[in-house]
Amino acid sequence: MTELVHVEAVDGRARGLRGGRAGDRAGPLELVRRVDLLLLGAVLGAVAYGLYAIDGITKLDPGGSALGRQALYAAVGLVLMAAAVFVDPRLYRRFAGVIYVGLLAGMGLVLATGAVTRGSRRWIDVGFFRFQPSEFGKLLIALFLAAFLADRAKRVHELRVAIQAILLAAGPVLLVFVQPDIGTALVYGAVLAAALFVAGVRWAHLAAIGAVALLATLAVLWWLPASGVNVLKPYQAQRLTGVFHPSADPQGATYNVNQSITTVGAGGFRGRGIQGATQTRLDYIPEHGTDFAFASLAEQRGFVGASLLLLLYLLVVWRGLRAVTGAGDLFGAIVAGGISFAFLFQVYVNVGMTIGIAPITGIPLPFVSVGGSSMIANLAAMGILQAVHVRGRRRR
Amino acid sequence: MREPGPRARRFLPGDPRVEEPYRLTPQLALRVAILGFLALGVFAVLFLRLWALQVLSGDKYLEQANSNRVRTLPIDAPRGLILDRNGRALVRNTLGTSIELWPVDMPKNPSVRLRELRRLSTVTSVPVAELQRRIREFRRDPLTPIVIRRGIHEDQISYMEEHQLDFPGVQLATSYLRTYPHQSLAAHLLGYVGEITQAQLRAKRKQGYELGDVIGQAGVEATYDRYLRGRDGSAQLTVDARGRPTSAVEPKVTPRPGNTIRLTIDLRLQQAAERALRYGIQVAHVNGQWAADGGAIVALDPRDGSVLALASYPTYKPSIYVSRDPKKLAPLEDAAVAERENFPGLDRAIDVGYPPGSTWKPVTALAAMQEHLIGPYTSLLCSPTFTVNGQTFDNWDPSTYQWIDLPTAIAESCDTYFYQVGYDFYGLPPSRGHALQLWASRFGFGAKTGIDVGPEATGLVPTPEWRCVHYGGPPCSGYIDRIWKPGYSVQMAIGQGDLTVTPLQMARFYAMIANGGQLVTPHVVADVEQPTNDPRTPTILQRFAAQPPAPSGVDAAALQVVRQGLFEATHSTFGTSSGVFGAFPVPIAGKTGTAEKLVTRPGYPNPLELNQSWWCGYGPTDTPTIVVCAVIENGGHGGTAAAPAALKVFEAYFHKHGQTTSHISD
Repeated sequence: MTELVHVEAVDGRARGLRGGRAGDRAGPLELVRRVDLLLLGAVLGAVAYGLYAIDGITKLDPGGSALGRQALYAAVGLVLMAAAVFVDPRLYRRFAGVIYVGLLAGMGLVLATGAVTRGSRRWIDVGFFRFQPSEFGKLLIALFLAAFLADRAKRVHELRVAIQAILLAAGPVLLVFVQPDIGTALVYGAVLAAALFVAGVRWAHLAAIGAVALLATLAVLWWLPASGVNVLKPYQAQRLTGVFHPSADPQGATYNVNQSITTVGAGGFRGRGIQGATQTRLDYIPEHGTDFAFASLAEQRGFVGASLLLLLYLLVVWRGLRAVTGAGDLFGAIVAGGISFAFLFQVYVNVGMTIGIAPITGIPLPFVSVGGSSMIANLAAMGILQAVHVRGRRRR
Repeated sequence: MREPGPRARRFLPGDPRVEEPYRLTPQLALRVAILGFLALGVFAVLFLRLWALQVLSGDKYLEQANSNRVRTLPIDAPRGLILDRNGRALVRNTLGTSIELWPVDMPKNPSVRLRELRRLSTVTSVPVAELQRRIREFRRDPLTPIVIRRGIHEDQISYMEEHQLDFPGVQLATSYLRTYPHQSLAAHLLGYVGEITQAQLRAKRKQGYELGDVIGQAGVEATYDRYLRGRDGSAQLTVDARGRPTSAVEPKVTPRPGNTIRLTIDLRLQQAAERALRYGIQVAHVNGQWAADGGAIVALDPRDGSVLALASYPTYKPSIYVSRDPKKLAPLEDAAVAERENFPGLDRAIDVGYPPGSTWKPVTALAAMQEHLIGPYTSLLCSPTFTVNGQTFDNWDPSTYQWIDLPTAIAESCDTYFYQVGYDFYGLPPSRGHALQLWASRFGFGAKTGIDVGPEATGLVPTPEWRCVHYGGPPCSGYIDRIWKPGYSVQMAIGQGDLTVTPLQMARFYAMIANGGQLVTPHVVADVEQPTNDPRTPTILQRFAAQPPAPSGVDAAALQVVRQGLFEATHSTFGTSSGVFGAFPVPIAGKTGTAEKLVTRPGYPNPLELNQSWWCGYGPTDTPTIVVCAVIENGGHGGTAAAPAALKVFEAYFHKHGQTTSHISD
């Protein structure tokens, strides 16, 4: 990529002398001044509320409250977020190749040496910390795809480019899929979809890709198993399709969904408090510190408490989309779009799963679920959103 | 777009090597707007769903969450006691440990669950298939514990306690168990309890019975279950998702103990009757009746029909049904084993019809007098044989040849006397009906006595109509089997042929003779009581008054003749059991019986003709207060086995001892 030439310099408007690339030569102070305070507020609010929520959720667990650990992760994440503001996103673009190789290497390493927990291989044990590369992968794949598509901005209307992007993305997706971690694979897919969408792939192509994806899903979940070929393990397929028939087997495959719905519903408007939340306290809701954290939050804090978190998320998504429109270049726009959409997707799938409107997949709830990798990766992603924003075209 | 595009003011065409500056294209703006609406839509869906679950249906889910964690445990109500007529306990309760299964808490994985069931089966010796059947039975009721074994042994308890963690969903619980202080005493009469069966549940669900209830399955336990059972209480307990209790058990409904049932049975007399039964069999063995192996004794109060003792042999211990050890249960539940062990579960006193033999002769005598076939002092020849239509019937005593009247015929049990009477019955015109059978049914034969424990056999009083139907008719004529021949009437007169009666029916008939012609309804329960602090003055809740005796229509004078004959039978020199009862200080009157029956014995290819030993009678002769009827299966002559056994009962009743002289007779 050659050095950009700033033709907009001929723009006569005095304020626009530096044009859309206003952040290029802005000093650190200027960058800090331009930080999206609404996004920052929403993120800090979500992190703080998440810590408060997870403290309540895990307080009565045998292991005790996860607050300390989570606060530490949040601190690390916030530092990383702050640091990310000062890194020009174009740096990631320049090293897109390295990012991609690193992503594949990380996934490969997990498969080769990762610790097996409950039948899947997702973590690398680094002593004090269990590092989950696939969480950071969400961010890395957004950066890489943005770079790939921004580099081919002029040819993005060609189907070839879109297919190349899909094939490149297929690598990490498959590596996550075989861990197996279907949820994260789906998030990667969401990042890919958002990147193609924001990069400007033609509607017709998007429709075709969507149709193929739909057919593939139907094939994997229904048609192939019917003819005896199981791509997914039967229990995985059951959990994914269980959302369509929740009462099929209340003690078996859909046990979790039904318990989760009961948990959420029992919370009522005001919530049952920590002691009163029997579904959480007595362990009826499985994995309430991680995958089903939202259900427990809804039980303990009620509609009021759950809505508060959702509103904070909505704020994050809104500001993320603002960063897309305000981005200084296409790369920034695609990165912001990928991150925002992935965030939205995770929130929907996680929350939807606990209230019976999305399939059961193990996706952590951003800023709430216990887990360092997720917390840190999400905060880093927020930092990159800010980095895109502060270097964007200035409006006001 | 607040910024005008740079292209509009450009003078020169753009240099193709120079990348066009980035700007927000309308296309991107549209796409971001679409994403924005998508996000709004997603959050709208989440909010609406959350509102629906938490606010609109919150109460419903709250209830679900509560029923998730709150288990309602049944608390067994102790069953009522069963006492004898003097208040001595025949059945009590004891606390025992049982093993319960909570299917919801068992492993969900089928193979893990099966492994647990296998281990459980090894410990409890309940087959895996049985465990699975029980779990299936309770599948609609997953929160009711399934009791798989009651009254488990000490080592089983300690094993289960040590290995609690290996058995998720299995708990030890304390429950009341039936205990029988006198072991096998009155086993058939008392009955036993067991868990309600599917068929019983269908029939009794409306009466408040539920799956898993323990109910009376036989005898007094079954008939009077609604008084004995009480009402179970309940307690609540909070459990976590793995079924581990997280709170103390909190009682909700206090159980109400069952009421006490007082029987008319006298413990001492019952013990005596059962001893007498074994003694009778022993005596039979001594006399060479090797096949004697069972029997029954009934003791009734002839005035109101209350049963004083009801014994059947062989017997069993009802406690077998508490521990449910399959090996011990086999003789009671497995037909083949039961046959090998001579049917210990069969109540021979009320549920078996035997040919009555000569104990039937008073029936013939009364019927004949009522029908004016003979008068009390009609003399007939008691000869060694009687021949009718070329068929010869023998007298049991081949040496006799004299003219005798009716009382003497009863006393010395002359068969040929009664053969002639029987033939007279055969000769009655059809307009008079089947007079002998008619009187027999008025005396209660061929029908249930209505005793309050069951099951009860009806016995059989054969009639020409019965014969025709039983052998395949109608049509009745033209088939030799279906025709009532004179020989049948002749045999029936001495209680042989197809005629069968239960010991209880016979006791009731002798009670009728004793009480002056009233047919009583035998019953074993006196009243229902609620225990008070003073055991001597219980609160009587319901008294089961004896049903008023029904007059049988028999003539008092005719009865007097029969009574005279029965007294002579036990006291005159020619009486068939005077050797047994003649010396007894209380005057006893009664009749022996020796009934031939074809019996299949193991090891013998053809049925053997064996004698069923009978004795029925009452005492004291003038104002009878007790009737005793004894049967010793294959015991030989009535005077050698049944009469000595009956004497033992009288001895116990009157607290006096008799002397048996060796006088062996019918």
